[in-house]
Amino acid sequence: MAELATNTPPSSPEVTPENEKVISPWKEAWKTFRKNKIALFGLGIVVFFILLAIFADSIAPYEMNGQKLADKHLAPSSEHWFGTDDFGRDILTRVIYGARISLWVGFVSVSGSIIIGSLLGIVAGYYGRWIDGIISRIFDILLAFPSILLAIAVVAILGPSLQNALIAIAIINVPTFGRLIRSRVLSVKEEEYITAARAIGMSDMRILFHHVLPNSMAPIIVQGSLAIATAIIEAAALGFLGLGAQAPTPEWGKMLADSKDFLTDAPWTLFFPGLAIMLTVLGFNLIGDGLRDALDPRMKN
Amino acid sequence: MKKTWSIAFVIILTLSLALTGCSSSKKNGASGGNDDGGGGTLIYARGGDSVKLDPATVTDGESFIATAQVTETLVDYDKESTKVVPGLAKSWEMSKDGKTYTFHLEKGVKFHDGTPFNADAVVYNFNRWFKSKDAKTFAYFKSQFSGFEGEKEAVIKEVKAIDDNTVQFTLNRPQAPFLKNLAMSPFAISSPAAIKKYGDKYIEHPVGTGPFVFKEWKRNDTITLEKNKDYWKKGLPKLDKVIIKVIKDNSARLNALVKGEVDLIDGVNPSEVDKVKSNSKLQLFERPPMNIGYLGFNVEKKPFNNKKVRQALSYAINKKEIVKNFYEGTAEPAKNPMPPTIAGYNDSIQDYDLDLDKAKKLLKEAGYPNGFKMDLWAMPVPRPYMPNGQKVAEAIQSDFAKIGVKAKIVTMEWATYLDKLQDGQAPMFMLGWTGDNGDADNFLYALLDKDSIGSNNYSRYKNEEVHKLLLQAQTETDEAKRNDIYKKVQEIIHDDAPWVPLAHSKPQLAGKSTIKGFFPHPTGTQSFADVTIE
Repeated sequence: MAELATNTPPSSPEVTPENEKVISPWKEAWKTFRKNKIALFGLGIVVFFILLAIFADSIAPYEMNGQKLADKHLAPSSEHWFGTDDFGRDILTRVIYGARISLWVGFVSVSGSIIIGSLLGIVAGYYGRWIDGIISRIFDILLAFPSILLAIAVVAILGPSLQNALIAIAIINVPTFGRLIRSRVLSVKEEEYITAARAIGMSDMRILFHHVLPNSMAPIIVQGSLAIATAIIEAAALGFLGLGAQAPTPEWGKMLADSKDFLTDAPWTLFFPGLAIMLTVLGFNLIGDGLRDALDPRMKN
Repeated sequence: MKKTWSIAFVIILTLSLALTGCSSSKKNGASGGNDDGGGGTLIYARGGDSVKLDPATVTDGESFIATAQVTETLVDYDKESTKVVPGLAKSWEMSKDGKTYTFHLEKGVKFHDGTPFNADAVVYNFNRWFKSKDAKTFAYFKSQFSGFEGEKEAVIKEVKAIDDNTVQFTLNRPQAPFLKNLAMSPFAISSPAAIKKYGDKYIEHPVGTGPFVFKEWKRNDTITLEKNKDYWKKGLPKLDKVIIKVIKDNSARLNALVKGEVDLIDGVNPSEVDKVKSNSKLQLFERPPMNIGYLGFNVEKKPFNNKKVRQALSYAINKKEIVKNFYEGTAEPAKNPMPPTIAGYNDSIQDYDLDLDKAKKLLKEAGYPNGFKMDLWAMPVPRPYMPNGQKVAEAIQSDFAKIGVKAKIVTMEWATYLDKLQDGQAPMFMLGWTGDNGDADNFLYALLDKDSIGSNNYSRYKNEEVHKLLLQAQTETDEAKRNDIYKKVQEIIHDDAPWVPLAHSKPQLAGKSTIKGFFPHPTGTQSFADVTIE
């Protein structure tokens, strides 16, 4: 894959046996990551949007739902940088508040699927046999649906709202993480240190959470950052279909859906929310690629 | 769970329908193209499918668009207004006391199945409705004529054939809009032989005397009608074939017209009117306004059982801006529950203008100084009286927030929406009404009388004085006196504020510039008999 090319030759020849001990694997990963310009660019974008989300209240020039029907569809100008929508609301303001929603949905839903997926994956991988059989079949069933269709079905059951969209997205990502962890656990549990831990009589809990899980984290982190990107797109897609955020929440996908009739008359109503979705997703994807390079032990020297 | 799976199933079905829709539209486009010589084919596209094709059993406008081509009424409306003109009855007489009507029928008219149209056929049709005592199936019969055979408040007492071409209606009491009611599409005459032949399936096989013969109905797609070669009006219809097609989305429908896949469409978005005007191959039709779009309060539910709350919310809505913004010049702000084109409209009423201080004061007096939280139901589909209910609801939501009323917009599938409204489940809702016959009774009595609770009175408004006046107006045959009664009723309703009337819209239709002879009738239903495509 392409990441091989960005993997620069060993650049820490001055590492001596004394300080090698204090460098944690995370620090080392950061060092590799830092050298990856493209990944840093991605990180920059994401940090930018996170800052927008946190300080939305003080940055946003107008009120989030401040309707001024007379100001319908004003083109971008010095007063309204991104123009106004059909309710006369400032699009810049809504895009800024939208960052809050999209990032929130991305982080929370992916954290949810990581927690549930990891638990199921560890149990399936470590205990094997019939437990593994049941859990793996459930994953297979979930993966048999196209993810967006499954999300629509979940929202149809729970009722359309932002919170339910978040739950739906968390559910559809569970099997991805579950399978990943399961395969890691299968290989980790054959390692000698696990056998040693068993031999000295450690409890299963301790082995699982102190030895197996930490050693399976790397692929989860990589997959997690990529999954946030997908989750943001899925939240936008559900919002677009009217199954996610409800009016007047300034969710990016919903903003697109609300403005789709004005594509020719007022293209800025679609352009800016679309651009925001694209940039955030791009940011998380670049980070994900960078992390993969940094965390893959096979690329270490 | 069962329900949720059925929802998932419906979604899958819709998706597959959308796909099949794509393929068949191509086919229609091709067949529409080769209308060489003759009358040609007219493809009319609209937003929703007919519910049933037996006009007597439906109440929705989409169904009547199709049935009005196949079946005809005794008396008819003028092409451009709701003035009553002869239909299947060429003339009629009313007795002095207004209780007996005698109709003289056209001679030599035949139903599409070859059976003759005569007095017996008319009596058979009326008895089918009149003797059924089934208000659910024949809902319009109940609401226009107040009841069935033998019922105390019923308007009609008896329908009988005098001879082969003469029918006599005897009434229990005079009804001022009787002829206008008879002209409504639900009271069109069907072939008795066909009703007997098809039984329950008659709703899919309409047989009448109209200019077009029913051919085929593909649910949620097309209804195909062919020229009635033996039509009793000489020289009509001019078209060979009419296809009525469903294209759900307003913009998609207009695109189909621009691409030439269809010839005539209704439901043009106000924001896209300019697109039609600037295209020399298209022409715009504006339906004369005879409708009302409104925000209704369920007066049985707290806090809307308090008149002051309803008035406060009326003061809070920035009606002018909403109408300007979402109808873009295709509507007038409304202040009464009926449009100004109808006799009896009370123009002296002073509307609730935007006044937030007054609104807050009224809320305080009602005991809600900090406002309250409430669901606001909004329709999911574009309607002629409100092209974009969701957006209007969002604007109202923001207006209400200014006086502390936090509204949550609730929406669901259209048929479910109407069902639940009828049950009185919605505390506050958006809806509208298109007049059927151009009479005030068809608005005020049908929508706001206590008799109509459970049918069309969705706000469950009940006022004994209004009820008394409305019944009095029904029997009053002196036009001026009758109008005065309706004006009085509008005053009471204005003060009680069960609704916030929002707009009287002028629904926009568009067609190819080659279409001649088409006029969009105020009732929303018109015959294509004298339409031509050059």
